[in-house]
Amino acid sequence: MIRIALFAVLLITGTARAATVDASLYILRDSITFENGVKLPYATFNATNSFQETNARLVVNTGDQLNVWVVNWDVTSHDFVIKGETATVTIPPGDSVQVNYLCINSGAFIFHDPTNFPDYSSTGLSGMLVVKDNVHQSFYWNVKEHQTGYNSTVFSGGSPDWSNYYPEYFTINGRSNPSINLDASARIVGNVGDTLMIYIANTGQSIHSIHFHGYHVKVVNSSKEPTHAGRSKDSLPVFPSETMVLQLIPDKPGEYPVHDHNLIGTTGGNLYPQGMFTTILIAP
Amino acid sequence: MRTIYTIALFLSLVLSSQAQVDTSVLLISKVSFQPQFELSDGNLIKLMGYTKTLSAPILLPSPTLEFEEGDSVNLSFWNLSQGAPHTIHLHGLDVDQANDGVPNLSFDVSHDDTGSYYFKAPHPGTYLYHCHVASVLHVQAGMYGMLIVRPKNSPNLTWENGYAFNSERAWLMSEVDTFWHADSLINHTWDAQNPMQYILPYKPQHFLVNGQSEAQLSAMPYSASVGEKVYLRLANIGYYGNRIIFPAGLNANVVSSDGRPLPSAAQSDTLEIYPGERYGVLLEANSEFTDDIEVEYVDLNTQSVANTQNVLVTIEGFLEVDEFKNDLLAYPNPATNVVNLPYSGSWTVVSITGNLVGELSSSSKVFDIRFLSAGTYLLKSNENNGVTTRLTVLK
Repeated sequence: MIRIALFAVLLITGTARAATVDASLYILRDSITFENGVKLPYATFNATNSFQETNARLVVNTGDQLNVWVVNWDVTSHDFVIKGETATVTIPPGDSVQVNYLCINSGAFIFHDPTNFPDYSSTGLSGMLVVKDNVHQSFYWNVKEHQTGYNSTVFSGGSPDWSNYYPEYFTINGRSNPSINLDASARIVGNVGDTLMIYIANTGQSIHSIHFHGYHVKVVNSSKEPTHAGRSKDSLPVFPSETMVLQLIPDKPGEYPVHDHNLIGTTGGNLYPQGMFTTILIAP
Repeated sequence: MRTIYTIALFLSLVLSSQAQVDTSVLLISKVSFQPQFELSDGNLIKLMGYTKTLSAPILLPSPTLEFEEGDSVNLSFWNLSQGAPHTIHLHGLDVDQANDGVPNLSFDVSHDDTGSYYFKAPHPGTYLYHCHVASVLHVQAGMYGMLIVRPKNSPNLTWENGYAFNSERAWLMSEVDTFWHADSLINHTWDAQNPMQYILPYKPQHFLVNGQSEAQLSAMPYSASVGEKVYLRLANIGYYGNRIIFPAGLNANVVSSDGRPLPSAAQSDTLEIYPGERYGVLLEANSEFTDDIEVEYVDLNTQSVANTQNVLVTIEGFLEVDEFKNDLLAYPNPATNVVNLPYSGSWTVVSITGNLVGELSSSSKVFDIRFLSAGTYLLKSNENNGVTTRLTVLK
């Protein structure tokens, strides 16, 4: 039974004062279609009851009280947790649960379905909570990859053999090159001298080594390697279940690629160029 | 035609060297249509790659490019491919868009054509260069190399006012999947209107350090003396992760990455390096020994170790006097009861045979050495970037 369904604006711009943020996430099952037309069964957390190939994103400010209703409109039971932050709750089909979370710590967090981890989480059901402590222009990358057949196995009740994992599709926010650049929340656009924040969550099972052309970025936070904060890098790995916050202050104009430097990650369905490849666009 | 190009390139290099360019370099991209690069199992593979001359063979990796900080560089490029365009992407140098070596966003160089990249060598450090056309194919085919920028007039410093070292090594890790070196890929067709390329599943059989693996690595052992500070530059251009495991006794201090000093140096016996990353590690041994540095190759999808390569480590002998750049830091020298050192604090005392003797400690720069018996010692500051000096004690 759905106890309540609150429609909320999920992208909350920065405000100076703590607020109560009410949001809803709808678990919906459909499919994801890649650049070459290949379609895989897929489920996501959605901001409305309309299925999207990319998971909804929750963006709040430090100090905010987040009250999120998770509504399961799938045909099977799902769990929900903000990884490392809240207790896991189980949501039967057609039911909903409210999760309350006081956003004390800033950074990026993963919310997902940990059932038979990493089965459901890696085949779709994992999104990003961003707790901001700044008002800078921000960009958000939920990076994931998929192997044909694994999604079908999971959504038919099976469990794939992750020890033989060899994904063929690589996405940022559910999209691959060239479509990633159509996602204004993913494509970095700014001006010389701007402070640009990049929030990354690796919700897949592969390590992605992200390379920035044109600029070094500063590691603000890494959930896996907290001691790496402050490092200036042009290439950096993002591990499965890791979240990362980067700061970019462009010193020159231009359009520069950002991509997975495991270059297999710049393909899709064994075709190059696709995959995790986007561009930074900086005006003078 | 090639003679004309050679003359034109030569003139371009001469002219640029007369202009506001400190350094001019020519790279030629070539293809070996016949298998010619020998792997550890004796099999030969075809390669794409860069060379500095027409007659030079294509090797893995391509030649290392070396510059000094602040150099204005003209990197001329002549593409002699199988028909595909190529570029030189200056990985990590943060050059401007025009010189970034990415097709469509910068420029590519057609087969049998030339181009030039201009840049100012930035921060001292370790970088890469590689082709960015059909990069997943062309990098695996062999179109990659290291690029090193050293501080101006200070080749034995990591960067200006950085760490001093006696010698340096550079290791570039990669892999080879021989199926990706078949003629259908090395000699692949190119349609500018449809640059899409099909790739095979990547299952490398060969895991390389500077193009070598297995028994071939015996030709490139890590050899150093006791007390010798070695700056090891490490880079990964492969599609696997690398986990470098240093043996006990070889003290590793990770000081830089991606051409920048780390905010805090990190002492560790293990270092992970992922595709495109570079690290700088200061290594030093306090005694003689023989062991291995292990290089593990980590599957990025399963995080399992697919292969391990071993580089023989031989720590033998002691720094010769003429290698000892800070030999005159202690005075008087020889000394009997007290010695003046350039820094207060604590200094580790090692015998000339490599045994730990003790520690000197003082809040001033004057140190009591009465507990030391007659002999020659190596003194290493426990701060101040590990400055080392030699001291002879008389009784």
